[in-house]
Amino acid sequence: MNNPDNILIHCQGVTKQYRKGDNLVTPLEALDLTIPRGDFLAMMGPSGSGKTTLLNLLSGIDQPTSGSIEVDGVKVHALSRRDLAAWRARNVGYIFQLYHLVPVLTAFENVELPLLLDDMSRRERREKVEAVLSLVGLSDRMHHFPRELSGGQEQRVAIARALVADPPLLVADEPTGDLDRHAADAVLGLLKTLAREQGKTIVMVTHDPKAAEAATRILHLEKGKLLETAP
Amino acid sequence: MLLPFSYAVRNLYRDRTRLLQTLGGSALVVFLVMGAHALNEGMRRTLNASGSPHNMLIIGKGSEESVQRSEVSERAAGIAEASLSGIYAPLGERAVSPQIVHMADLALPDGRRLRGLVRGVNPKALLTHPEVAVIDGRFPGPGELMVGRLAWKRFGVDAADLAPGTTLNLDTATLTVSGTFAAPGTVLESELWMDLNDLRTLAQRETISAVVVRLDTGDPADVQLFTRQRLDLELSAVNEKDYYARLAAFYAPVRAMTWTTAALIAAAAVFGGFNTLYAAFASRVREIATLQAIGFRRVAIVVSFIQESLMTSLLGALLGAITAVLVLADRVVYLSAGAFRLGFGPETLFAGLITGAALGLIGAIPPAIRCLKPNLPQALRD
Repeated sequence: MNNPDNILIHCQGVTKQYRKGDNLVTPLEALDLTIPRGDFLAMMGPSGSGKTTLLNLLSGIDQPTSGSIEVDGVKVHALSRRDLAAWRARNVGYIFQLYHLVPVLTAFENVELPLLLDDMSRRERREKVEAVLSLVGLSDRMHHFPRELSGGQEQRVAIARALVADPPLLVADEPTGDLDRHAADAVLGLLKTLAREQGKTIVMVTHDPKAAEAATRILHLEKGKLLETAP
Repeated sequence: MLLPFSYAVRNLYRDRTRLLQTLGGSALVVFLVMGAHALNEGMRRTLNASGSPHNMLIIGKGSEESVQRSEVSERAAGIAEASLSGIYAPLGERAVSPQIVHMADLALPDGRRLRGLVRGVNPKALLTHPEVAVIDGRFPGPGELMVGRLAWKRFGVDAADLAPGTTLNLDTATLTVSGTFAAPGTVLESELWMDLNDLRTLAQRETISAVVVRLDTGDPADVQLFTRQRLDLELSAVNEKDYYARLAAFYAPVRAMTWTTAALIAAAAVFGGFNTLYAAFASRVREIATLQAIGFRRVAIVVSFIQESLMTSLLGALLGAITAVLVLADRVVYLSAGAFRLGFGPETLFAGLITGAALGLIGAIPPAIRCLKPNLPQALRD
């Protein structure tokens, strides 16, 4: 049994339903899940199994139809849209398959974005951005625009952006899905380091069993239900 | 917390074709709005300046709307001069000016036809219209005429065609241009003035059009009383200022038409802007969703969209305003009442810039709302 103080995420009876035309779709049904702090969790499963839906619910991008989601003591399912935006800014870093960098901003400016939501001096922001870009090995690319970077470099900028506000939770949706093996290994190595050395809790959705191997725990989802938990 | 301003600025350059379309649309609307404003302002200023509150027009009863249609007995000028007191009289010369206002067909020696307002006057007209100054040559005597300094523009000929010494044909008579006069800001500047008796003969009139009386200490009500008492002369008295104010009201449909045209084109530009901006914002749905996922609120994104749209529309407005000033300033527009110099002023520029800002604001909000409508998970997958 996990120590309650060590639990970051606690989901209970989470169901998500939405309408698609005349049909009621249930991507997640009565799901219970507990994720301790510092866990690097990989979620696998076939397309439509509810992986991304669960990731969206855990990160406050979406809200459940029923059930409760508590992250670091905050009842995320009960927050208003406005409070949810503020909560996300402080508590969650996102890493997307296609990086989702803003193309008109440089690597530095992309990474700086989450810090603009905090009351922070320009100097403080610069120091934090430089530090995190150095951590992902892109100090020499900070003034480059996304189009001037390789896919692996873009994903590392996205990781830096996710990290810069120092959120306890990082969520990654197929972070290596668009990268070659070499770049994917570099990104996975970085995520492992973040979990191990900085105590970040990482929830990663992946189709790639090799990517999942980097995690400390693997969950399998099928038709909205948690089928298996592998160490 | 707002998105950085540089984000809005750099978004402008994402699609140069769209940028040019929006700039062009905004510039065109602002150009038209400024043109309409300047036309209205020019007309208002000219007609306001054209009438003096000291002048009373004694005209034929029933012709209060148009001096050209008015017929007044020749005797009226003498009777009015003798009957009325308090008339302006510099050096003892009483300012009572009989006039004929006649729309005439004239011809240049090379055969080009000119149609315009000819005013038959005697030298007393300079007493009733002190704003008139002969700036070249002299006041016309028999067989002569004097041209307003904007008349050449009014007739669409070269200034040299109406320069002192040149000739014009009116019916069978050949008239020599004796001089040029200025009457700043008034419709008189596009008129031709000639000898009263000559015009009476050439126009085959037995009457004059009006008697202009300039009052000093006299009461306008006395002039009206005079016209009511002299039933035999069938007269009416109108303050010259009021006459031109009525003329301005007569042109209200023209002014309304210019505004309507500008408004219709502005509406078309707003809908064009909706489409352009919707396409611009729609191509960024995922990016917008990412910004929301990071923690930026919708209002911050809408503000950024508005900044972007305002920058484009105000830049377009500036281009439109510069073009309007370069192309339209000093332009003279001709209507039957006379020539109007377009009235450009700070308020014209203000009207243009407000229009540009309104286009930017109105054009941005609906596309922004529409692009923020998809829910976040759906938009992130877009």
